Amino acid sequence: MKPHQLSLFLLGVLLSACALAQGTPQPNAQAMLQASDAVRNPDKAFGVTVTLIEYRNGKQTDTSTLGSYAKSDVRSGQFRTLIRFVAPARDEGKLMLKNANDFWFYDPSSRASVRLSPQQRLMGQASNGDVVTVNLAKDYQAKIGLEEEIADGNRQMRHSTRLDLTASSPEATYNRIELWVDSANSQPLKARFFSESERLLKTVYYRRYQPQLGKERPTEMVIIDGLDAKWVTVMRYSDFVYRDVPDVWLQRDYLPNFKPE
Amino acid sequence: MQSKQALALLSIALCASVFAAGTTEDDALNLADTTKESAPVETSNWRLFTETTVGRTTVHQSGQPDTTEDTERLSFDLLVDKKLTPELRAVFSDRLDLTNQSEALGQKTLNSLKETYLSWQPENDRLLDVGRINVRYGAAMGYNPTDFFREGANRSITSFDPNAIRENRMGTAMLRGQTLWQGGALTAILAPKLADQPNNGDWSPDFGSTNNRNRWLVSVSHQLADNFNPQLVLYGDQRQPVQMGLNLSMLVNDATVAHVEWSGGRQKSLLAQALPLSPSVAQDEAFRNRLATGLTYTTASKLSITGEYHYNGAAVDKAVWNALRTSSTLDYANYRELIDEQLDLTTRQAAFVRASWLDALINRLDLTAVLRYNLDDHSKLSWMEARYRLDKSEVALQWLFAANDDTSDYGAMAQRRYIQALFRYYF
Repeated sequence: MKPHQLSLFLLGVLLSACALAQGTPQPNAQAMLQASDAVRNPDKAFGVTVTLIEYRNGKQTDTSTLGSYAKSDVRSGQFRTLIRFVAPARDEGKLMLKNANDFWFYDPSSRASVRLSPQQRLMGQASNGDVVTVNLAKDYQAKIGLEEEIADGNRQMRHSTRLDLTASSPEATYNRIELWVDSANSQPLKARFFSESERLLKTVYYRRYQPQLGKERPTEMVIIDGLDAKWVTVMRYSDFVYRDVPDVWLQRDYLPNFKPE
Repeated sequence: MQSKQALALLSIALCASVFAAGTTEDDALNLADTTKESAPVETSNWRLFTETTVGRTTVHQSGQPDTTEDTERLSFDLLVDKKLTPELRAVFSDRLDLTNQSEALGQKTLNSLKETYLSWQPENDRLLDVGRINVRYGAAMGYNPTDFFREGANRSITSFDPNAIRENRMGTAMLRGQTLWQGGALTAILAPKLADQPNNGDWSPDFGSTNNRNRWLVSVSHQLADNFNPQLVLYGDQRQPVQMGLNLSMLVNDATVAHVEWSGGRQKSLLAQALPLSPSVAQDEAFRNRLATGLTYTTASKLSITGEYHYNGAAVDKAVWNALRTSSTLDYANYRELIDEQLDLTTRQAAFVRASWLDALINRLDLTAVLRYNLDDHSKLSWMEARYRLDKSEVALQWLFAANDDTSDYGAMAQRRYIQALFRYYF
């Protein structure tokens, strides 16, 4: 084989290798996102208590407790969530319903049901979208970003896959999300949420994994504001329970009648 | 050499920013580590708060110079909502206002039995309620043409924030049945006559204000498409033909909700209702429309602004209003009394703005401002509040200002101006 033939052969091998490498199936990003959703969200209708603790400049400034009832919509596969405010006393009994992109707020004092925009806030700490149950795979298209070692919420190094999510449905709250999941078991570890103008809105750590409803699930989210890193909200989940959530509960007209056991 | 130095400085800066980011996130996680386990919070079947105010009011009485007086109020507000059995629920809600003020501003002791009813729910999708119930319809904020049971419901107005006015009102005694299906509901209400006249007694349940004639209402709503869930209302009243109503609110974008609320039907004008014996006022019935429509926009900094346009086809127009204000004092007073009782718009057109800013400037501080503007006589009412939330209590400073001449819509208010401090405590 002449030298230029050898060169051509080697070039051919190199190009084939590249082509093969490109054609090698990567881990399926959307499947990993679905698996990550399944870690966060039970597979059947469930109830959970959510406690929000807000810190500003290192000091605890606010706390509230919510009861959450979530059920997957057979039609869309997305969760519908009914939130009941339990504490503080001034908010006791108030309700928020999320059904697709419809947010409704009900105040028992005025017996009024009012439609909210996703940006409208009911509480100081977390956004409405933070406290409801969401299957990200229904609203976002995932691509594999990169494989890397990152520190998780417990400052332990974990081999992770960064999924780059872009909004694929009008119901998506965020324009873009970077979600790091454990490469071995798709447990969500950390996420960064971006606005349309590419501003970092918040960083979230998923931690305190505990066995809940048949799976290791994160029972704490640490939310760090994108503009002010000293604004931190800790969301704790407790009292997970599978429970019947009738479809009629999850609509505006039922809100005045809602009175859990 | 210079480029190498610049590169080195850039590298240091990048490393520093990465390190700083890591540090702040570590700080946040360290903070989260210190968060103690919260004690379990039980859902409560009752809520009780007391509220006390001290303030100074400029009192306006027609034909007399304005005077200033100090006012104090002590209120108790109780809500009990308990399931007696899995199918049976009892609701009781009452408010007591004890006020130190002159007669021009209202009664000194006033108890409002807001609600007391039993709700029977044999199935998730079927309900039957009986008792005094606060039924409130309406997608708009400042004026609710479809809120057919608002008439006579407010014994005591302690705040000019429309939200507070709704919270403090009495319900109507009724029998209410409701059936629900996925995405919709049908509701039927029968509200019988229980008394002839309102009763101003301090402790009276005052069914004469809320149930002085036989009335009924049927409403149906259904989610026809995503983001499209209209509500239709039919309302019957022995005093007038059936009225129709429509409520619709839709998401415009992530930050904006648009709403429209309409009612219409054949009825006498409000002037004819106020002056039934006046030969100069036409007593004919015609189809009259009422409308409230607007938008609520929320900024990323938790500021929500609602702007609305209000129209009342049964009210007097600008020309008749101007004539009424300058002609008969008695006719003018009768008309205003009817408007106050029905919580309706005084004239044909009005504008309304409400701005509410949560965690404004500092954490836990909420600022609210309300502006009502009569587009026919250009009088306006401004109300502002700064409220600071503590764990079990709230402190607030409220300010009211009504402007324009003595006989205008808002210029004629007895409370021309006030400033008051408020303290609320939740038990």
